[in-house]
Order: sequence, then C-alpha cells, then structure tokens
Amino acid sequence: MNMSRRLLIYQLLLVAAVAALACLLFSVTQENLARLGVDSNFDFLFRRAGFEIGQSLIPFSADDSILRAFVVALLNTLVLAMAAIVCASMLGLALGLARLSGNWLLSRMALTYVEIFRNVPALLQIFFWYFVVLRTLPRSAHSTVLWDALVLNNRGLFLPGPADNAGAFVMAAAMLLAIGIAWAVGHWASLRRYQTGRSFPVLSVTLSILGGVPLLAAWGTGMQWEFPQAGRFGYGGGIVLLPEFLALVCGLSMYNATYISEIVRSSFSALPRGQLEAAESLGLSRQVAVRLVLLPQAMRIMIPPLTTVYLNLFKSTSLAAAIAYPEVTSVFVGTVNNLVGQPVTIMALTLVIYAFVSLCIALCLNWYQRRLALRGT
Amino acid sequence: MRLPGMPALLLLCIPLAAPAGTLEAVRERGFLRCGIVESSPGFSVINDQGERAGFDIDHCKTLAAAIFGEFKIEYVPVTPHTAFTLLQSGGVDVFPDGATWSFTRDISVGLDYAGVYLFAGQTFLVRKDSGIRRVADMDGATICIAQGTTLEQNMADYFGARGMHYQALTFADIDKGLQAYHADRCDAFTNEGASTAGRIANWPDRDDHMIMEEVISKEPFGPMVRQDDPRWRDLVLWSFNAVIAAEELGVNQANVEEQRRTSQVAEVQRMLGVNGAFGEKLGLSKDWAYNIIRLVGNYEDQWRRSFTPLGLKRGLNATWQNGGLHSALPFR
Repeated sequence: MNMSRRLLIYQLLLVAAVAALACLLFSVTQENLARLGVDSNFDFLFRRAGFEIGQSLIPFSADDSILRAFVVALLNTLVLAMAAIVCASMLGLALGLARLSGNWLLSRMALTYVEIFRNVPALLQIFFWYFVVLRTLPRSAHSTVLWDALVLNNRGLFLPGPADNAGAFVMAAAMLLAIGIAWAVGHWASLRRYQTGRSFPVLSVTLSILGGVPLLAAWGTGMQWEFPQAGRFGYGGGIVLLPEFLALVCGLSMYNATYISEIVRSSFSALPRGQLEAAESLGLSRQVAVRLVLLPQAMRIMIPPLTTVYLNLFKSTSLAAAIAYPEVTSVFVGTVNNLVGQPVTIMALTLVIYAFVSLCIALCLNWYQRRLALRGT
Repeated sequence: MRLPGMPALLLLCIPLAAPAGTLEAVRERGFLRCGIVESSPGFSVINDQGERAGFDIDHCKTLAAAIFGEFKIEYVPVTPHTAFTLLQSGGVDVFPDGATWSFTRDISVGLDYAGVYLFAGQTFLVRKDSGIRRVADMDGATICIAQGTTLEQNMADYFGARGMHYQALTFADIDKGLQAYHADRCDAFTNEGASTAGRIANWPDRDDHMIMEEVISKEPFGPMVRQDDPRWRDLVLWSFNAVIAAEELGVNQANVEEQRRTSQVAEVQRMLGVNGAFGEKLGLSKDWAYNIIRLVGNYEDQWRRSFTPLGLKRGLNATWQNGGLHSALPFR
C-alpha cells in the first residue's frame, strides 16, 4: 500500500472516530435528559414569553412569543456590537495615528492610554463606566435639557424621534436610501479623481447626505415628531439611549480601541518609508498623504488582525448581561433558561447564534480584504 | 467572567448520575453536597467567626445532622444559572436555597420539591420621597430586578393584569441590581422581601428607603431534589418536618436533652427516637431528629439566629397555632 493511500485511511478513521464521539455525546445527553424528565425540543420558542424586555427595536410585550424575545435580544446585541465597533475603530485609528505622530506629548499620551486600558479587564471597565455614568449624571428632576429636545439624566439620553411606527419605517427607509446615495457619490468621486485628478469633498458631502435625506423625508411625508416629555417617573417619548447602552459602548470601545490602535500603528510602520517621502516630494501635505497614500495601503495589512478584534468585541457583548442590557446572553441564558429549564437546548441555540454572527462578520471582512488586495498583473 | 456554559457541559460529560439511592451515595462519600447561593444576608453569609451561617446553611446542617449526627457538609456555591443543572447532573444532593415551588419548575425541570420551608413574597423597595405608596402608584416606573427567579414573570403578570406599564431592568446579579437602584437608575427594586431586607440593612441611608407592605406574589421556597429518588425526597421532607414539629411540640435546642429523658408525650417520644423505629425506616439512625434539634434547633431557633437580627417578623411563617402557615405532619 502506498504512502498517500495509508494517510488517507488514517484520516478517514480519525473523521469516523470524531463523528462517533459526537454521536455518542449527543445520544447520551438525550438519554440523560429524557431520564431526568427534561424536555429537549424547541417547542418553548412558541410559548408566551411572560416577561418584559427593557429595550426593544421592534414592538415587544410579555404577550409575545419567546421566539420574538429572542429576535429582540439578538437585535440589541447587533446594535450594541455595531455601535461599539464603529466607536472603537474611530478611536483606535485616532490613537494609532497619535502614537505615530512626531509630537512627543501626543504620542506619549496615546501610549499611556493604551497601556492603561489594555491592561484592565473589559468587565471591570464596563462596571466602572456604568456606575460612574449613573452617579455623575443628574437625577431625573434636575435633568440637563438642551433646546427642549435633548434631555440627559441618569435614566438615559433622550432624543426626539418619530411618534409612531409608520414614521419609524419612513426614517429607516430614508436612512437606507441616504446610505445608498452616499455610496454612489463616493464611487463617482473616486472615479472622477482617477480620470481628472480633481478632488471632491467626500466627507462633508457624505455627512450632509446622511443627515439631510432622512430629515427631508420626515418633512416631506409630514411625519409627526415626538419630543422627550417629563412624566410621573422622569422623561419618556422619543428615542432613548439607555445608560447601560452608553456605558457598554464606552467600555467596549475604549478597551478594544487599544488593540485597534496597535494594529493601526504596526500596519503604518510596515509600509516602506519611501511611500511617505514620495508623497511629500509630490507636494502633498502630511494629512493628505496619510489619507490618500498611506491609509489605503495600510488597510490591506490591517484587515486580518482587525477581524480578530471585531470578533472578540462581538463576543464580549455578552458581558452586557452584567449590567442589565438585554442582549442574547442575558435574555436567553439568563431569563428564558430560568423560565423554561432546558439548559442544554438553550445553550446550544445561543452558541449557534454567536457562531453564526461571528462567521458572518468574518466573511464580510474577508470579502473586503479580497477587494482591497492588489490584483496580480 | 461568568461561564454560564459550564454546567451544561457538565451535564454532557457525566454520563449517568448513579441511579442508586442518593442516601447511599452520600453515606459512601462521607459528606453531604449542599448547593448554596453565596452572600445572601439572612440566608447564606460568612459570619464574624469566618463560618457559614444563615437560614439556607441551617437547612444543609439539618440534613447532615439527620444523616451523620454531625456537620459533614461540602457547600457547593451555585448561581441561579447553575443550580438546576448541577442538581440534575448530580453535582449537589440538595438545593435548599430560595427557589419558588411553581408548576413549571416542579413538572418539567426533572426536579422535585420536598416541602416548603419559607413562605416568602415579592415586594418592592422604593425611596420614601418618591411618592410611591402602593404598587398601583407605579404605572410607568422603571423597576430593577434580578434574574434567576420567578420574579420577572410575576411582575409581568401583575402589571399586565392591571393594564399598567413598567420598564424592566434585568440584572444577572441581585447586588448589581440593588446598586443600580441605589444610584437612582430605577424607581423601585423588586425581590423577595426577606432577602431585600437583609441586603439593605447596612445601607447608610437605609431610612430613606422602604420596603412596601404590599406583596404581589406568593413565593413558597422549598428544598429541591432530583426527581428520580423518592426515598431521598422523603428524607429531606421529614427532616425539615421534624424542625417544624419540634416547635409545635415545644421541643427546642435548649430543652431537647431533657425532653428526650422526661417527656411523656407519645409523639415527642416517637420523634426523638425513644419509642418506635421512625429513623430506621428512613434509613437513618434512631436519634436522627434528636440530632437535628440538638445541633440545629427547631424552626424558631433557626429563625431567631438568621432573621430576627434583620428585623423580620414570623408572619406567614409562624406555626398554624399562631396564625401562620407552617403545620407539621404528624409523627405517627
């Protein structure tokens, strides 16, 4: 028998052994659960939830099903992860560039920040921000109010929002439209720059599109606005950013920004010095050189390690359970498991969801990485 | 960092918890494995002498006294997330902590209750200056609550039935929830009354807060055991019953020695093993109940040790002669 065939047989045996082990584990668990009288099906998903969730992007009440509670929790997880990823990336980029800066004070300050926040566990940072935020913000009766529209107190940050679901739908649609337009404008601007070399103020135009289109849509459809109003128990109405959410975005992004800043720094350091020198000899300012010459090249190096940070950040949103932000771990492994009492099924479902979303994030970034890669000639 | 996945994994890895009797397993092992929740004033604390004490701890001790005549106990700290799983998989023999006896828990979790050792109820902690006097005043309030109990559901049921709204803030941990309430994040904190009273007893501004009298749910707490061992459940049930019966019969930690020698009451004689073979029938020694009362005391003794310092009244937990709900099953 030749070598390669023997190796193939070994590998097949290994796969069979692993599969057999998995089957054994599965059947023993099933048997144990049946013997203990614990259900192991997913019927509970369609039962009435019977508990309330503090923050939900879609309407939810105790009368809805556990499945809907699951969707609410998943959306909360995704919103938190997205906000934290955006904030962490911006902060990380700024920190990384600061560390590369020739300004001694600036680079040392960035270094100090990184060394402090990288070396304290994320959970402690979250507790710190949560209780600092709660203790420093004013009580409801002494809220900070700006133009009768923005209200800040220890119950959250209250913003004006659409008064009903139809309005919310219009806003969401307008936001998507704005993102589409902004993307098209960006695409057109870069094409024009390739062809004519003329630049275009992409950033300010993008921001005005993202802000302007939804406002225009709201005005055009005659949408009713709802402003925060003081009630019996503090303010209500409009859009509320809960202190838990703010503390989590703060804690998670400040912690993960340290890792991102190191990635940014190392990616820029990996570029040949000649790139910056060549850009400067063309007469580009430092700022423009970084934006147009260095950053696009550094991005290629950055994406793979950045994927790891984003995945870690996504998974650490489960720390939110500690400060009452209703995400998947809190709602499912906490509340629902307690009501239903099927730990194995519920853990399995939760694990699968985390794995699925993580894989989606990795896929997106890999796709982006391939798009950025230099094409062989 | 919490690892909520661990107990589920345990369940996968322990193929079959010995279906042989729990009592035999405990005897062979030489000690009782008792699941406790750590740091719950009144129920389970570490006292000034560095020893575990509290109402739950006394319950572990009651069982150990009945089986071994001394406190051979391994306390296994559990959280509400891990308790049921550990019990199901044989990691603990009994879980005497405040787990409400409800239909779902009893029927579909593979566990059984052995009696009710505390009649508790869900109450609300509010600031005195909040203007909240009754539960009905709380329409629209933000309420902090901890997971791992039936409390979330009770509150949704109660408010839903009255068409009232509230915003729930659900913490994984009772103390974090209380801390958030203390920082004015919520208008009220809800939990089982006795446990709240214990936790806020040492707040510097304790007098600015009050626990409302109104109780929105019945929370009968009982020790939980696995469903597949009825003999073990009998043992747990009757050990606790001895504690109640002793109070009804006037036997306490101080006089149990004398009662055993001199009492002419037939039921006392049977309970303390002077007559009959009640202990043997449970698979225990003759003086099992005598050991319980001698080492741990009757219900009143236990209450006075754990709850009286927190200012809790017996209320529903008095014996039936005193207008409470505890009523011992007869030793006959």
